Amino acid sequence: MLSPSPTAVDPLLDLSAYATAFEAWLATRPPVLRAAATPTPDFAARVDTMAALMSALFDGGWARYGWPTTHGGLGGSIVHRATMWEALARHGVRGMALFEHLEILAPALVALGRPEVVGPLLPRFLAGEQTWAQGFSEPEAGSDLAALRTRATAADGGYVVSGRKIWTSWAAYARWCLVLARTGSTESRHRGLTAFVVDLRDPGVEVRAIEQANGTDELSEVTFDDVFVPQERIVGTVDGGWAVAMHILSHERGTFAWFRHLFLYQHLLEQVGDGDPSGDRDLGEVLLDLAAVSATSVGGLHVHAAGAILGPRAAITKLLLCEAEQRSYDWIHRIDGDLAAGVQHPEVAALRQEYVFSRIVTVYGGSQQMQLETIAKHVVGLP
Amino acid sequence: VTGDRDDEFLAVAREAVRAARGDDVLTALGWRDLLDDLHDPETRAATFALFRAQGRELGTSPALGILMAEPYLTATGLTRGSVLAAAARHSRRGGWRALLVGDACCEHVVVDLPEAPALLVETADVELVPIDVPGRVVLHEVVLDGCRSARPIDERAARQARPRSWALGRTACAFEILGAAEGAVALARDHAVARAQFGHPIATFQAVRHLLAWAGTDCAAVQAVAEQAVALDDAAPSRHDEILKALAGRNGRRACERTLQVLGGIGFTAELDHHHLHSRILALDALLGSAASLARDLGTSLRTERRDPRIAETYLGAHR
Repeated sequence: MLSPSPTAVDPLLDLSAYATAFEAWLATRPPVLRAAATPTPDFAARVDTMAALMSALFDGGWARYGWPTTHGGLGGSIVHRATMWEALARHGVRGMALFEHLEILAPALVALGRPEVVGPLLPRFLAGEQTWAQGFSEPEAGSDLAALRTRATAADGGYVVSGRKIWTSWAAYARWCLVLARTGSTESRHRGLTAFVVDLRDPGVEVRAIEQANGTDELSEVTFDDVFVPQERIVGTVDGGWAVAMHILSHERGTFAWFRHLFLYQHLLEQVGDGDPSGDRDLGEVLLDLAAVSATSVGGLHVHAAGAILGPRAAITKLLLCEAEQRSYDWIHRIDGDLAAGVQHPEVAALRQEYVFSRIVTVYGGSQQMQLETIAKHVVGLP
Repeated sequence: VTGDRDDEFLAVAREAVRAARGDDVLTALGWRDLLDDLHDPETRAATFALFRAQGRELGTSPALGILMAEPYLTATGLTRGSVLAAAARHSRRGGWRALLVGDACCEHVVVDLPEAPALLVETADVELVPIDVPGRVVLHEVVLDGCRSARPIDERAARQARPRSWALGRTACAFEILGAAEGAVALARDHAVARAQFGHPIATFQAVRHLLAWAGTDCAAVQAVAEQAVALDDAAPSRHDEILKALAGRNGRRACERTLQVLGGIGFTAELDHHHLHSRILALDALLGSAASLARDLGTSLRTERRDPRIAETYLGAHR
């Protein structure tokens, strides 16, 4: 597909036209699509097949819609991206893998980063060439993110970052990391934080993958030992990192649910034929949970499309997504004991990974207890 | 994003429900006239806001029967205001029963129960047995024994009217359940702020805060799906009305169980309206398919037909 000329209006900016055209492309079943739709427990292979799919989606122009032309995109809104992933899930793609960060991190990078830095990097992310990690949590700063200790000290032309991050998603596969570091005093809490774009290949960075309970190594521990970061790689303002974090969390807790639940739905649909009548009520209840995620997250997409962020209500969507994910895999576990003590088959192993992962979803992106606290205060209106 | 407009409709409807009762509420709101324009999304939102207000304020009116009768007007040759449609409920003690919510203000009643031919009866010719449950809801069972005026409605016409009637009724019930559940959360929140134990308001205790946060989330989920139903109307995914009604019934009951725990003993007394809100939800859950039966049927249909209702795709498509 050719980029539109500056004078013509691109017909695919119309969402229905985009959806129809993309569906036609998917109907050709390109080999990259078939590969991404094949379950495998090999996480590195999954990353590779997704990178290959992203590359094809970028070359075809599909993955460039929904992103601004200033950043290598072809224009349109988040609803274009929502449309693309809805169709990919329906066509059997197993999940977004490390491209989840396209919908968690990238919107904040575009909104709050410097165009001269983010502009050249986003297309590489979209094309699956260079991926990103999110450096928020630390050994002493989990739910209490504002207590983080990684320090950024002003130096000639930029900052020097030192500290340790943990539970850093996809760092072992990523080239770039958005690091939240302290530029103010320890007492400054959330007011003294700044967000930096750090090149994980720079001297002083060490990434150690964490072997997870589900057998993957999606998470890492990352140490920064006097890593120099140029001034222009600050996202947002100095000491303004909290606003960047809130923008990211609005996506991670709110709109991300849209993207993730599409895959839950598809996985469930692939398994339902093996159920028995005694589990029908539970299965029906999973459908209710998924409908609640669809309805709350589609609203979030439109809030973001209008240029706003969700705020505390994102916590509701996050809670509902966790419910839907755990109930989905409860049902799958119920009908498929093989995932507990099963036959040696890549599909069973992949299912087992997903089941085990579903047990921890109430921890990432802010623990369930933190979401409940946010809802209690800002939605229910408790003091 | 329609939040402000919906809040406005709800505020107006709540005021009307507080100020009057029964049919007078509908007159004050000009509610019957809204039914002329159900194809308009804003009018639909205003129409269903009445039910949410009834739940919240524990008001009652014949609105459900009037709304459910709309699709039968052509088949019966009757005009709006002269006919109500009864809502079906399945009883373990004798199959399907016909119920009227609110005063039986019209001359005719449509009784269209599963597994039986659709009938039009004269209200004066049937026995209306009051159902005595809390919830400040006026509820009658329509008993047809000995009814001589019953005449069948042409099955072809009934077959056309039935799904629309049930969908409207289920959506209305879901909104009323939502309102009642929101009322229960508001009661429990006020109690948690006022009630002190161990020298602190119980609203400061995490266990209490989390119960209320879950109850608030239960309501938010119903609200989001209900608003989609209003926005999509006929374009909703298949069985969307069942999904909405089941979600409302399940979440409404669950919210009340959580708020009851926050309220403690006082919530289990007649002094507080909580039991009315809870009972209103139980009654509405029982109409037009309970959460339990609908969830089971949805599961069966998904398992045996493996049919994808494409909810996400439809929701997204509606916004394109």
